[in-house]
Amino acid sequence: MNLNYSDEQNMLREQVLKFCETNYDFIDREKILESDSGFSKDNWQQFAELGWLAVPFKEENGGFNFGPVELTVLFEEFGKALVVEPYLSSVVMSGTIIENSDHKNKSSIIEKIISGEHQMSVAYAEPNIGYKFLDCYASTSVSNNILSLNGTKSLVLNAGNANQFIVLAKHEGLSALIMVDAEVDGLSIQSFKTIDGQTCGELTFENVLIDTDSILASGDDAEAIFNKMMDLAILCISAEAVGAMNASYVKTVQYTKEREQFSQPISNFQVLQHRMVDMFIETELTKSLLIKATLQLDSNDPDAQSTISALKVQVGKAGRLIGQNAVQLHGGMGVSNEMSIGHYLKRFTAIDSMFGNTSHHINKYQANQKE
Amino acid sequence: MDISFSEQDLQFQEEIRAGLNGAEYPAHVKEKQEKGINFSKEDVIDFHKFLSSKGWMGYNWPVEYGGTGWSPVQIYLFLNELALAQCPTILPFGVGMVGPVIYTFGTQEQKDRFLPDILNFDTWWCQGYSEPGSGSDLASLKTKAVLEGDHYVVNGSKTWTTLAQNADWIFCLVRTETTQKKQEGISFLLIDMNTPGIEVKPIITIDGDHEVNSVFFTDVKVPADQLIGEEGKGWTYAKFLLAHERFGIAGVPVVKVQIDKLKNLTAEYNDADLNKKIAELEIDLEALEFTELRTLAAIAEGGHPGAESSILKIRGTEIQQRLTELYVEAAGQYILPYEGPDGFDSNRTPSGPEYASTSVAQYLNYRKTSIYGGSNEIQKNIIAKAILGV
Repeated sequence: MNLNYSDEQNMLREQVLKFCETNYDFIDREKILESDSGFSKDNWQQFAELGWLAVPFKEENGGFNFGPVELTVLFEEFGKALVVEPYLSSVVMSGTIIENSDHKNKSSIIEKIISGEHQMSVAYAEPNIGYKFLDCYASTSVSNNILSLNGTKSLVLNAGNANQFIVLAKHEGLSALIMVDAEVDGLSIQSFKTIDGQTCGELTFENVLIDTDSILASGDDAEAIFNKMMDLAILCISAEAVGAMNASYVKTVQYTKEREQFSQPISNFQVLQHRMVDMFIETELTKSLLIKATLQLDSNDPDAQSTISALKVQVGKAGRLIGQNAVQLHGGMGVSNEMSIGHYLKRFTAIDSMFGNTSHHINKYQANQKE
Repeated sequence: MDISFSEQDLQFQEEIRAGLNGAEYPAHVKEKQEKGINFSKEDVIDFHKFLSSKGWMGYNWPVEYGGTGWSPVQIYLFLNELALAQCPTILPFGVGMVGPVIYTFGTQEQKDRFLPDILNFDTWWCQGYSEPGSGSDLASLKTKAVLEGDHYVVNGSKTWTTLAQNADWIFCLVRTETTQKKQEGISFLLIDMNTPGIEVKPIITIDGDHEVNSVFFTDVKVPADQLIGEEGKGWTYAKFLLAHERFGIAGVPVVKVQIDKLKNLTAEYNDADLNKKIAELEIDLEALEFTELRTLAAIAEGGHPGAESSILKIRGTEIQQRLTELYVEAAGQYILPYEGPDGFDSNRTPSGPEYASTSVAQYLNYRKTSIYGGSNEIQKNIIAKAILGV
């Protein structure tokens, strides 16, 4: 039994931490949010140069062959600084699907992701299916020997910037993962800002022509790859949440030590101390489930599914408690958009909503226990 | 990172499991633990005698004092196995508390005199800390010990003394001096419960049980060689003791067993709301269990978990209490008939599930968990000071 990070993992953490300290204070971040793309292309290029975009990929595809542990290290640090660059959608989500597919050009696609020149995103959600992503309506059809895709995909992260999408759709009645160029005829993209300062888009496919080569996987294979991608995505945003929780309680402790009322720092008041202790405890408990889930995913443990759901539930509940208390203890400053603290609450809220919220994963956890 | 236990540790676990299922294990105790019946004083003694016979009593002691010398991981696995088998709880007062204080701070004479009896469970120890006026503010204690020649004269009272009615000896924090700083006048005294002037009065708790007591001391003469270490250093020893007994504080395996039982008992109810609450409790338990493993991994590497173990106490007791609430919720109206810890006469049985009346008793009894061992509020003060620095 050994729960220490390796030297290599600690170095990675140091590197991300330093980067965020230098390039990602709250004012830097505000500027990034206001930019057209909603993220910093300079930062993205630096991510590439630092090798971060290669972290999860296999060596044969030009990656570092790192696993879930390294990804969670990266995301924990991203979470502390509320990094908005589209690492999750492009590297983790799209990358996982591409790498697990049999696509003939997968190495060159991954190479382009790693170099930073190419961004991708997964189109998994739809307007009317909630979290039942596999019960999608988007589907292919054939007429005159021509295969085409129709349907609507929602909440596609970073849709306005992605060069390609991987669309979850029905093909011959089965689930399929289909790669589509952003520029293709018949695809219209409507972009939105999200509550937490990122961007997403609504994709409408109208008779978009599909080349059979662009079907990355179908049937059971597609579902297995999709589920694997989902698990990893949940793990990463949970790690991000842990980082954000850490930052939230640390910033709150600091603020209460500086803020004086009734002629003393408000950190003297026990009722506030205990709330901050609650924030600390929830952070540690979340970290525990994060490590457990990470190690289980890393070793393909059959219990990983259940732990991932437990983790997502804990992230949802703890994020709410910590985010709300951080705002409360900052008083009026907490609800002011020009303070960072409220932005953590926004990120917690967004994270809970993604890939199955707390209620959804309580149900999923129960279903897993019964099996 | 790697969370698996070593082959050696797994083999150790097997040995413990085999021992608990072996022929030497007292059959009447085993029968009760399987049926979930309360243990009698004799059961508790027989269980401890069994541990002694296996050489397991000093599970947390170094070899030189007759202990097992087990590693932190082995201690963890040992306690885990006992809990999963639903054995009686090892009484912490002797082996967990006063024993380590004696072998760390006691004289050779004291070690020779007291340690073997603890390991053989020939003395039942109890703990004299809290007083009517000193709960969370323990250092304000007033029970006085005045040195007169070769003995101390003790006057005062202790309260919430667990199982003092069964105890042969009590270890007490007493005031030997009134000092500016209240911690500095406290001493650590070992007292024979048969000494004239000691009176034990039961305190009946809200579940109707007799678990705790008041202990009164009137001119009790205690030989001076029963003082541990130096006069005025008792607070240091008390703090050492508190830091020593950390394993198992979260109660994870016990809760695990009880959740499984509850799921079986309520399977046919198909109560979606109850099932959801159980699932949420299981998730919280998973988080707590892995937090305990993180603490264990730190200890196994020679670290000293400080205030972090307060998390285990706070969340562990919260989970235990929530579990008792779920049992009560599951039993619904059938919790109403209750006549005390001994149950009903065999010729009268109220309707409703069998677990109903024990669950309400457990619910009431477990309110103590967030109060004892340093109340959860005190634990939060510790974290606030030691970790958050406020």
